[in-house]
Formats: sequence, structure tokens, C-alpha cells
Amino acid sequence: MHTLEGGGAKDHATPKLPAHSRHGPAPSRASLRGLDWFVFFMADVQTGFGPFVSVYLTTQAWTQVDIGLVLTVGSLIGLAGQMPGGAVVDAARSERLVAACGVIAISASAIALAAWPIFLLVLLGRVLHAAASCLLGPAMAAISLGLVGHAGIGERLGRNARFASIGTGLAAAAMGALGYLTSSRYVFFATAALIVPTLIALFHIRPSEIDPERAHGGKHDAGLRKLGEGLLALAGNRALLILAACALLFHLANAAMLPLMGSLLTTRSSDWATVLIAACIVVPQLVVAAFSPWVGRQAQQWGRRPLLLLGFAALPLRGLLFGVVTDPFLLVSVQLLDGISAAALGVLVPLVIADVTRGTGRFNLAQGIVGSAVGIGASLSTTLAGYMSDSLGSAAAFFGLAALGFAGLVLVWTSLPETRADAVD
Amino acid sequence: MRVTWLTAAILAASFGALSAPALCAGGTSEGQPARSSGAAAAGESGTDDIGKTVLPYQDVQGVLGKEIRSSADEDMGRVVDVLVDQAGHVRAAVIDFGGFLGVGNRKVVVDWTALHFAPADQRDRISLDLTRDQVKQAPEYKPGKPVVVLGALGPAGPDL
Repeated sequence: MHTLEGGGAKDHATPKLPAHSRHGPAPSRASLRGLDWFVFFMADVQTGFGPFVSVYLTTQAWTQVDIGLVLTVGSLIGLAGQMPGGAVVDAARSERLVAACGVIAISASAIALAAWPIFLLVLLGRVLHAAASCLLGPAMAAISLGLVGHAGIGERLGRNARFASIGTGLAAAAMGALGYLTSSRYVFFATAALIVPTLIALFHIRPSEIDPERAHGGKHDAGLRKLGEGLLALAGNRALLILAACALLFHLANAAMLPLMGSLLTTRSSDWATVLIAACIVVPQLVVAAFSPWVGRQAQQWGRRPLLLLGFAALPLRGLLFGVVTDPFLLVSVQLLDGISAAALGVLVPLVIADVTRGTGRFNLAQGIVGSAVGIGASLSTTLAGYMSDSLGSAAAFFGLAALGFAGLVLVWTSLPETRADAVD
Repeated sequence: MRVTWLTAAILAASFGALSAPALCAGGTSEGQPARSSGAAAAGESGTDDIGKTVLPYQDVQGVLGKEIRSSADEDMGRVVDVLVDQAGHVRAAVIDFGGFLGVGNRKVVVDWTALHFAPADQRDRISLDLTRDQVKQAPEYKPGKPVVVLGALGPAGPDL
């Protein structure tokens, strides 16, 4: 079946795929489909680990202190591992192998969690999961870039975001139902079982089509031992640092917004609260699934800045509306803005990173830097919003978050350059 | 959507608790048969013969993590903590109420006397005299803040 694609690409310039010039042939249909499903199943696996951990441990008569400790340790590992994880992916000769190891580690930690919910194993499982996630995020982007190259990466990232969003949505629904009908323990067995389709999808991606030099964004001399050197080199990359600062501000404003809103919905409406919160989660997912591929294509035509500005502008607007709107059903429609932000940033942040690290061989380490900034912003957000909400009220908290989001927008507007390469090479 | 990010400050605070809970995290930690503590306290004089009370399995139960239903059979969340006063009497339960996929849930405190524990054949059920409508407005339970206890209206409540 891939002969069809290959033949078509040679003869007449197909309008969909840009020509893959000197980096060998276009990736096969099998590889691209494999990547689609790999992204989809990875999102399923990660959903299983998200909100269900705390519910599950609560049902296992864990105290809140222990649960908080385990989650916090996982978060800190996930934060500290961002840059080393990126460096490992940059140094790896086979992105596929790194991804497979990550998937196996996550599956193992899901089994440990489900089978033996004792403190030590759960803690180890969380650490293993967090560390593996630090590898899988960049590995997925590296495989994408290695397959399609810089010319096709915008469109590819859009497609990845669509599949991830659909995967998250379906997994949340299926695992929520599973947890409700059986027990939350089976959610983790199901998560562990997802290793099978995930690995099958991964092995459909042909390793020969992942160009390692492309996957790292250039000549490949970086390694974990050269982490310091790599960081120094990237520290001089002004556009990358500005992007990291923008991402930090965005998540500082964004991460607490939905939880704060959810908490308010719980107090306002009793019968509808659960349904409304579910809608507030699902609506942005649908927007991301619908619009991400479009974002990826437009980023190539319009450039990066207009779409980034759109995504950053939607956030302060959402904060303002959350502060003034009280009708619960209107609030759900405000979540459309969350979807716009998520679609724009989900595609454009990795895309800009790929742009600004082109030729450095440090695409994945740079992802780790931005990932750290995102993690710091997101983890401080809840505390900050909680403080503002306690002392000034929830409307003021939303306005405060909106102001931070606005600062991010201003920073993008004034300082972040357009990074789209003019010449296609 | 990453709900689990907490701050380093929380870690610093909770590391102090690392050693103690490491062993008690297994399945059944604290059952709270508070009212029947007389027998257990009786034999503290000797060093070897500590007083023992044998309770039939179906007479007591652990409450942490147990599901709570309202009298109208609404889902009221789960017990996540139990509050005692200085005399050790159980006064209230902290329940994790509402929300979806970890978003929007709140910890609220309900009076112990508003909870009813089912007999042995339905062990997993704890029922609460309050409805979702009555609980939703309750202020969230936070350490260091005054604790607002819901449902302390019944005549069976302890003297204040």
C-alpha cells in the first residue's frame, strides 16, 4: 500500500505532503499510522494514571498525607527529569527503543500499583512512571520529527494532538465507567494491559524511516554526559528562553483555572455539578481534536506568531469570563476558549522548539527545558490560585490568573520572534 | 490537564511524615469504635497482661476510604479522615465530596452523629443524614482554618 503513496509523491506534487527533499524518501503509510495509534494509546495510558491514582489510594484506606506525598514525589521527579529525559532522547540512536522502554516501565508501575498498594511499591511505581514520562514525551516528538522532518512537522504535531486528545477523552470515559462498575483497581490493570496495543503501534513505525539526525534537530553529538554543555549552548538561545518564559506564565495562569471553576461548580449546583464539570473537561478536548490539524497546517502558511497570539489571548479572556459569568451552562461554553488555547499551544510550542533548535542536535533537550518551565508554572498555579481565592475571593483569583495570562500574551507579542523558516530546505 | 502538580513546599512539609505512615499504609488502619473504649483502657496496670477485648468481625469496621450515600441514595463521596476532640471522642468525618476525574472535589466535614453505619451484610455502605444540596455550600476543610461541621443538629449529638 505504501507503493501508492511513494509513487504519487514522486510524479506529481501531491498537495498534501510537502516534498521531503534530501532526507530520503517520505515515511511510509504504515509508519505514520503506527505513530497515530502510538500517540493515541499513550494518551490512554497516561489518562489511567492521572486522576484515578488518588481515588484508588483513597479506597485502599490510604491517608491523605500519604497520597499527597506519593503524588508530590511523582511530580517532582517528573519535573526534575524533564531535561535529563530530553538529553537521553537526543543521545539515543533508536527513539523507538527509548519509547518502548518507557512504555514497559509505565506498564510495570501500573501493575505494581494495582496488585500491591503498599507504600513502598506505590512510591516506586510513581517514580518509575514519572521518569518514563520524561522520556516518552520527547521520544514521541522526536519520532515525529525524525519521520517527517521540519517541513512536515507542523502538520504532524497537529495530527498528534488530535489523536492524543481523542485518546484521552475515550480513555477517561472508558476508565471512569470501569472504575464505577468494578473498582478503581481494575483501572490500573486495564492501563497495564494497554501496553499490548501501544507496543504493536510502536513497532509499526519503521525504524529505518526515523532519521536520527532529523529526530534530534541536527548533527548528533549531544549526550547525557554533555548535558551541562548542551544547557549552556541552549542558554544562549534567546527565542527558546522567551518561549519557556511564555509557557511558564501561561501554565501559571492556566493550570488552576479549571480546578477552581470545578470547585465553584460543586458549590453552586448539586444535581448538575458532576455533569457540568465533565463537560468542562470534554469541551476543550473536542476543540483540540477538531482544530489541531488545522492549526498545524496554518502554522506553516500564516507563521507561528498569529496562532500563538490567538492561543495566549484566549487565556486571559477565559479568566475574565470565569470571574464574571455565573450561569453554569454559559461557563461550559467559556471552556471553548480553553480548547483554543490548548489546540494552539499543543501544536505550536513543540513546533517553535523544533524551529529554534534546528541544526543544533538538541531538539529534545530544548523540549526538556520548556517542559521544566511548564511544570514549574503549573505546580505553582494551584498554590497561588488557592491563596488568592482564600484571601480575596474566587472572582479576584480568576482576575489575578487572567492578569498573569495577559502578561504571557504581552511577552509573546513583544519578544517572541516569528520562527518559521522562510526557505524550505 | 495535570491535576497532580503540587509544590515543593508541600513536599517539605510532608517529608516529616514519611517515616510514620510508611508501615501503616496497608489495608485496614484505624477502625474507630470510640464509644467502646472502656474495656480496652481498663487493664493498663500490669506490664504483661494488657487488657484485651475481642470484638466480632462484623461489629466493627474501618472507615477510611468508605463510600458514603445520602438518605436519597446520592453519592456523597468517601471518608478521608476522622476528627477527634481532645478527649479522643470522634466528632466528625472529613469527606471528599463531588467532582469529576479529580476536578471540583472538595473536602467537607460532617458531624459523626449524622453518619450511620450499616450492619455486617452491607459493610461498604455508610449513610449520611444530609443531601448533596445541603452539603454543596459547605466551606472547604483546610488545616489551620475553623472547622465547619455540618449536620450537628440531631438530639443524639454530644454536649458541646
